[in-house]
Amino acid sequence: MAEHHHTEVSKTELLQRKLEIKQERKQHTISFVMMILLTIIAFYAIWSDKVPNTFAVLFILVLAIVQVFFQLYIWMHLSHKGHEFPILGIATGILCAAVTVAGIAAMIWTT
Amino acid sequence: MSTIASHKKRSGLMDWLTTVDHKKIGIMYLLGGLFFFLIGGIEALFMRLQLIKPENDMFVGETFNQLLTMHGTTMIFFAAMPILIGFMNCIVPLQIGARDVAFPFLNALGFWMFLFGGIMLNCGWFLGGAADAGWTAYAPLSTTSAGHGVDFYILGLQISGAGTLMGGINFLVTIINMRAPGMTFMRMPLFTWTSFVASLLILFAFPPLTIGLFQLMFERVFDANFFNADNGGNAIIWEHIFWIFGHPEVYILILPVFGIISEVVSTFAKKRLFGYSSMVFATVLIGFLAFMVWVHHMFTVGLGAVPNSIFAVATMAIAVPTGIKIFNWLFTMWGGKMKFTVANVWALSFIPTFVMGGVTGVMLAIPAADYQYHDSYFVVAHFHYVIVGGVVLGVFSGLYYWYPKIFNRKLNEKLGFLNFWLFFIGFHLTFFPQHFLGLLGMPRRVFTYLTGQHWDTMNFISTIGALMMGLGVIVLAVNMLISISSKYKVTSGDPWDGRTLEWAIPTPTPEYNFAQTPLVRGLDPLWVEKSAGNKEMTPAEPVGDIHMPNGSILPLIMSIGFFIAGFGFIYHHWLVAGVGIGIGLICMLLRSVIDDHGFHIHKEEVEADLRGVKA
Amino acid sequence: MNLSERFTDTNIPEHPEKATLEGKNKFVGFWLFLGGETVLFATLFGTYLGLRHMHGTGPTAKELFQLPTVFLATMILLTSSLTSVYAILAMKQNKIRAMQGWFFITLLLGLAFLGLEIYEFNEYVHEGHTFTKSAFSSSFYTLVGFHGGHVLFGCLWLISLLVRNWSRGLNLYNAPKYYLFALYWHFVDVVWVFIFTVVYLMGKVG
Repeated sequence: MAEHHHTEVSKTELLQRKLEIKQERKQHTISFVMMILLTIIAFYAIWSDKVPNTFAVLFILVLAIVQVFFQLYIWMHLSHKGHEFPILGIATGILCAAVTVAGIAAMIWTT
Repeated sequence: MSTIASHKKRSGLMDWLTTVDHKKIGIMYLLGGLFFFLIGGIEALFMRLQLIKPENDMFVGETFNQLLTMHGTTMIFFAAMPILIGFMNCIVPLQIGARDVAFPFLNALGFWMFLFGGIMLNCGWFLGGAADAGWTAYAPLSTTSAGHGVDFYILGLQISGAGTLMGGINFLVTIINMRAPGMTFMRMPLFTWTSFVASLLILFAFPPLTIGLFQLMFERVFDANFFNADNGGNAIIWEHIFWIFGHPEVYILILPVFGIISEVVSTFAKKRLFGYSSMVFATVLIGFLAFMVWVHHMFTVGLGAVPNSIFAVATMAIAVPTGIKIFNWLFTMWGGKMKFTVANVWALSFIPTFVMGGVTGVMLAIPAADYQYHDSYFVVAHFHYVIVGGVVLGVFSGLYYWYPKIFNRKLNEKLGFLNFWLFFIGFHLTFFPQHFLGLLGMPRRVFTYLTGQHWDTMNFISTIGALMMGLGVIVLAVNMLISISSKYKVTSGDPWDGRTLEWAIPTPTPEYNFAQTPLVRGLDPLWVEKSAGNKEMTPAEPVGDIHMPNGSILPLIMSIGFFIAGFGFIYHHWLVAGVGIGIGLICMLLRSVIDDHGFHIHKEEVEADLRGVKA
Repeated sequence: MNLSERFTDTNIPEHPEKATLEGKNKFVGFWLFLGGETVLFATLFGTYLGLRHMHGTGPTAKELFQLPTVFLATMILLTSSLTSVYAILAMKQNKIRAMQGWFFITLLLGLAFLGLEIYEFNEYVHEGHTFTKSAFSSSFYTLVGFHGGHVLFGCLWLISLLVRNWSRGLNLYNAPKYYLFALYWHFVDVVWVFIFTVVYLMGKVG
C-alpha cells in the first residue's frame, strides 16, 4: 500500500525506544502508586471522621481531579505530541460537563 | 501486495442498501429528510386549517396535540438535521479535497439509524396515537401521557440520536485528518468550517439528550422517579437536560446554513468572502455560546433573578457574532458582480428574514419581557423566523446551488423563481401576523379560540400563507421530478464558475472524488488556480492506486435490530427487546472480527477515467 | 507494509496505533467520543447530585453504603487500568505474549469488579433500596449502572479482541484496536474515580 512504506528501524533507534519505554513504565508505576495513595487518603478523610465534613468534601474532590490528570496525561498519554485534537475534545467535554453538572444540580429549586 | 481482491461490484438496490460512499449516503439523507419534510409540512397545514377560523372542529384536542408534537419533532430531527447532514456528506469531503470520509461504515450506520428512528416515531400514528407531549416532552406531561405515543418519541429519538452522534464524530475526524495538502484550517471553505463547529455541538449536545431520553424511558417503562415529584423526583431536571441539548441543537441547524449562505453569496457576487477570519471566529464563538444560554428557555420557571440575568446577558451576547456575519455577507455583495440565480435569491432573502428572527430573539432574551411573551404566538413567530426563515431558506439555497454537483442535473430556474416567490411570500404571510397574535395574547399549542379577540383575521391570513408555502414546496417537488429528464443534465463540473474545490471535480463525480489529490494554494483554491490562468487544480501526487472501503449490509441489519428492540421496550416485551439488541450486538461483533481491508481502484482504471474526461 | 503483515521486532513503527490513516482516524475519533461520554456521565452525575437527598422512606446513602466493598472495587479497577497500560507498553515493543497476558489480567479484574458490583446491588435491594423506591435510588442505580454497563461492554469487547487475535500477532490492522480499548478502559476508570468520590465518599458525609 502506497501509504505504508516501511523501513527497518535502526539499532540505535530501537535502543532509544527501549529506554523511553522503560522510562515510561517507571512513570506509569509511580502514578499508580500515587493514585492508590490519593484514594487511600480520600477514603481515610471520610472514614476517620477526623476531618470536618465541608472541608473533607472539597478535599476529596480536589484529590479526584488530581487523579483524573494522572489518568489522562500519563496513562492515556495526553502529554505526548500529536494529541492536540484529543486535548481539544476532552477539554471541551470537561467544560460542557462542568456546566451541565452545575446547571442540573444547582438550579432546581432545592437549596 | 497492493491489491486485496475482495471488491464485489453491487448494482441497483443492493448497491444503495450496502453503500458506504459518502455521496450516495448524502443523497439518501437528502431524500429521507425531504420525505419527512413533506410529512411535517402536512402536519403543519392540518394545524393551520384547524386554526383558520374560531371554534373550528377539524382537528381538535388530542389529535391537535399529536399534530403539533409530531410537526416539531419531525421538522427538527428528521427533516432539517438529515438534510443538513446530507449536504455535509455530499459536499464537505469534496471541499477539503478528500477521497472519502473518515468512517464510511459508521456513516452508513448513522443514516440507517436516522431512517429507522424516523419510521419508529411515525409508527405511533398507526399504533394507537402519536406522541402528544410537545417536541420538548416536558415532564410530568410526557411521563404520564397515556398510550404509547411518547414511547415512540423516546425510542425513535434515541435510535436516530445515536446515528447523529456517529455522523458528528465522522465529520470532525474527516475534517481534522483528511484535508488535502495545503488545505489549512484557515483556508477551509465556510461551509466546512460551520459543519465542523456544528459537529462539535452534536458531539457535546447529544449525550445529554441520550441520558434524558433514557431517564424518560426508565420513568415510563420501569417506574423510576427522576421527574416524579411524589417520590422525590424533580421535573425541572428534565427541562435542564432537554435545553442543555436543545439550545445547541438549534445552532446545529443554523450554523451549516450560515456556511451555505457564505458560499452562495461569495460565488454569485464573484468576490472572496468579506472578513473570512472574522467569519470563522464568529462561528466558533456562536458554537461556544450555544452551551451557555439554555436557561433562556426557562426564564419563567422561577430560578431567580441571578440565573435569569446571567443567561440573559449571555443570550444577548450572541447577537454580536451573528451581527458580524450579517455585515460580512452585506460587504461581500457590496461592489460584487451580483448574479441573481435562484440559489442566490434564496440566500439574499435569508438575510433580512433571519435578522427579523434575530431581533425577536433579543427581545425574548430580556427576562422581564419574556414573562409576557412566554408560551404565546410571539415565540412561535420568533422560532419560525429563525428556523423556516433561516434554516429552510438556506437549505433551499443550498439545494439549488449544489443540485448539479449532487444529482448531475440543474434545477429549472423559472420554476425555481415560482417556488421562491410562493414560499417566501407565503412564509411572511404565515408568520408575520403571528407576532401580533402573540402580543394580543394568543397562547401557543391551543387547538381553538373564541371570536371577538381580534385574532380571526390574522389567523385567516396565516393559514392562507401556509397554503402558499405548501404550493411552493409542490413546485419544488415538480422541479426535482422533471430534472430527472436528461434535458437538465449538466455537462460541466463547474456550472456556476465556482471558487471552492468541489467545483474542480468533473461531473459526474467519480467514486474516488479526486483522481489526484489537489494541491491547495490559498483560500477559494479553485479561484486561485483560475486567477493564475490554470484550467484545473495542480495535483499534489502522481496518478496511483486508490484505496476504497468495502460496502456492507451490516449497518442496515444493525439498525433493524435496534428498531426491533425499540418495539420490545415500548410493549414491555423483553424477549423481542433482547432479540433486537442481540442482532445489534452480533452485527458489531461481526464488524469487529471480520477483517475488512477495503479494495483498490487500479491506476489504469483511474487513467482511463481521466482520458475519458479529457476526450 | 501490508495491513495484515505481522510486525517484527525491527520493523514495528514507534506508534503502531497511528501508523495508518485508518489508525489515525480511529485514534482522534475515539478521543472525541470520550469527550462526548464525559458530558453523558456529567448529565447522570448532575441528576444524581440533584436528587441524592430524596430518599423518601428508603434508606439514606449514609445508612446504605459499605465503604470497604467499594474501596476494594476501586483498588481493583485502578489496578486493571495499570495492567492495561502495561499491555500497551508491551504492544509497542511487539511483545505479543506479554500484551495478551496483561490484557488477560485486565479482563479478570474487570470481571471481579462486576462481580463485586452485582453483590453490592443485591445487598442494597435486600435493604429496601430498590430502583423504584425513591428519586435517590433511581438516580443512584442509573449512574452506577451506566458505569457498570460500560465495564461489561469493555469486558465483552476485550474478550472478542483477544479471541480473534490470539494467534495472529500484531499488525497495522489490529494495533489501533488494542490501543482504543485501553483508552476506553482508562476512561471507565476515570469515571469510577468520580463515582467513588461523589457518590460513595460524599454520601457518607451527607
